[in-house]
Amino acid sequence: MSRKGCLGCSFPVLITIVVVVLAVGVVSLLSGALGKAIVGDVGLPELFTVEAPHVQLPAEGIFHIGGFAVTNTLLASWITIVILAFFAWAVTHRIKVIPSRLQNLLEFALEWLLNFCIDVAGEKNGRRFFPVITTIFLFVIMNSWLSLVPGFGSITFTAIEHGETHVLPLLRGANTDINFTLALALISFVFVEYLGIREGGLRYFTKFINVRQFGRGVGQLLRGKVKSGFGGIFMGVIDMFVGVLEGIGEMMRIVSFTFRLFGNMLGGEILILMMLFLMPFLLAVPFYGLEMLVGAIQALIFGGLTLVFATMAVTQHEHEASESS
Amino acid sequence: MEGISAEAMRLLAAGIAMGLGAIGPGIGIGILGAGAMQALGRNPEARGPIMTNMILAIAMAEAVAIYALVVSVVLIFVA
Repeated sequence: MSRKGCLGCSFPVLITIVVVVLAVGVVSLLSGALGKAIVGDVGLPELFTVEAPHVQLPAEGIFHIGGFAVTNTLLASWITIVILAFFAWAVTHRIKVIPSRLQNLLEFALEWLLNFCIDVAGEKNGRRFFPVITTIFLFVIMNSWLSLVPGFGSITFTAIEHGETHVLPLLRGANTDINFTLALALISFVFVEYLGIREGGLRYFTKFINVRQFGRGVGQLLRGKVKSGFGGIFMGVIDMFVGVLEGIGEMMRIVSFTFRLFGNMLGGEILILMMLFLMPFLLAVPFYGLEMLVGAIQALIFGGLTLVFATMAVTQHEHEASESS
Repeated sequence: MEGISAEAMRLLAAGIAMGLGAIGPGIGIGILGAGAMQALGRNPEARGPIMTNMILAIAMAEAVAIYALVVSVVLIFVA
């Protein structure tokens, strides 16, 4: 049986597709800022032109509950929570041995994440950390993919503030609000420190305030061993300095977590808007795909780094215990 | 500084911050990618772990560029 056609379509369909894509390309080139700079304004209708993006860093408040401003990013994150909760309910209220489609999808995702946790943290710890890591992962990935749904940022409302009317987007990706990423980074930080303290007790802090070598050096000096005493003190000072650096590095994790997610998501959003401005319709499509990938990778990184740090905080004492024994 | 406005300096600073800030991460990601490819060539079965670790390490390097991006965005739109 010989099939006529190319790329799975018959020739008329293929030709139609090519013509439509070409037409869209020409219109988008002519209506975008890039084409206007090259060809000049050809006077296309208002419908095709896209305004230059206006970047708004802080999220806009929509309404107030008491003194608490509900911003558009907060609303978007509530929608994410509702969607995730609905998925969880829809799958778990009727669990079957032979999974349905939806159950299969979620089981696949969760199994993959569980294997990732076990790979990094080991069998016991991986199972213990799995709920927190998965929550972070699912929340971040859902937030970033939700903001890519067409029409997400197009719903506007009119706010009246100090007698002026502003037209503001009703929804905005929660990852593009620095308060959200900071909150998530703090959760991750507290999680890691809590695990470290619970596992090692007060000994956990010897990582930051390390005076053991210094004390040993002073002791040797008092006992009259001048040479090894001064050597010990010198090494002890270096150890203390390393401990301080360790503490600063621990604090810097919050900043790094916050700005990594915030910058990536905000940068992606600006990138898409800029491409829409330069060349509407066509040029933004590949960047849409890129942003889906970036959202998934950033979610994996946020969860994965929390997992790695938690594993480091927990296993640190096992090393010390095995050294001293 | 006669003739140079604060606006111009701000835009210039934003451009320089992003441009210089992208050099280091670019080199770092290149080295990481090369290392991962070499590891993959020597041991093709270890594709999964190499991929995961490479992406994690690339994210660490890329974070530095993101700091520069945030600084330049703040310079342009907020400062």
